[in-house]
Amino acid sequence: MIDTKPKSNRMPAGSVQCDNTTLNLLKANDFVAKAIKDKVPDVLIINICSSPGSGKTTLLQETGRRLRDKLSIAVLVGDPETERDAVRLRDVGINALQIVTGGMCHIEAQMIYQALDHIDLTHVDLLIIENVGNLVCRLLLEKKKDYRVTLLASTEGDDKPKKYPRMFLTSELMLVSKADLLPYVPFSVEAAIKDAREVNPDLSAMQVSTLSGEGIDEWCSWLEEKVKEKKARKQ
Amino acid sequence: MHEVPIVRDIFNTLQESHPDKFDRILKVQVEAGLLCNVQPILIQNAFEALIRDEPHLAHIDLEVVLLPIIAHCETCHQQFEVIRHKFVCACGTPSRKIVQGEELRISKVEFLT
Repeated sequence: MIDTKPKSNRMPAGSVQCDNTTLNLLKANDFVAKAIKDKVPDVLIINICSSPGSGKTTLLQETGRRLRDKLSIAVLVGDPETERDAVRLRDVGINALQIVTGGMCHIEAQMIYQALDHIDLTHVDLLIIENVGNLVCRLLLEKKKDYRVTLLASTEGDDKPKKYPRMFLTSELMLVSKADLLPYVPFSVEAAIKDAREVNPDLSAMQVSTLSGEGIDEWCSWLEEKVKEKKARKQ
Repeated sequence: MHEVPIVRDIFNTLQESHPDKFDRILKVQVEAGLLCNVQPILIQNAFEALIRDEPHLAHIDLEVVLLPIIAHCETCHQQFEVIRHKFVCACGTPSRKIVQGEELRISKVEFLT
């Protein structure tokens, strides 16, 4: 049972000294974020988030196929259990490492930091972190990634940006995935973008379908462009 | 789900910052920006759970103060409060220049002298 008595009743008597202070409780995250950046300073880091089943891994498989000859891509993929996603990505030739979170709902910064020792990032241009499917827990730390991309599948409903505003707040790009199903489902791309931009006016948006190929060229060009920008900043 | 590590972190941080006075701490105030997904009642519950393992912390009063989300408007050069995640100033300009709302920190500690 939880004791709901005010704690003040249990306090010892005596005079009190008060320190106003600022002790950052996110410093462990900040430390790991900086360590990751220092470890792979030249690699573009993109964090991909979405609900489970919105097509992150399928999109990345196609992305890997299309950009195979242009970019060296590595993927860290998180799931509560199994190594299935990493296997799927390796099947199409992507350098992928699975992070099994052991039931946890998102990848912690520490897990990424440890994973970096187990994946060969020599000559890698682009490191994609495919997060556990989840629209609620965003990583507290934002400093370790260059961009966050959030997928919103047409089958999920266009009300998600309003219901999960924080995920869209910290994203740079929203991909409306499974766009080939748009004629069959009650989903307004316009409404989803409008709601998402109320939370995040700077959000870019694209429509993609891995099955039909719609928007995949545009998505791949976006990635190539961002890699180019990152390299230009380094020089 | 993330409250237990946060509460542990609070006391580990205090142990580090005030090793000599840690045993005399009476009250701790934590400020949490609304974007941190921290619910004060869940922090209290997690603290009660922690006390079962660490009874020497039982006399400490832990207070969590929520900080509203404040953004800066480039047009009016003023700050405005963001309500319901609507990052639009009263003048109509959208802005996500967050001034406050992402912090999670210990802001005040009271000791027995």
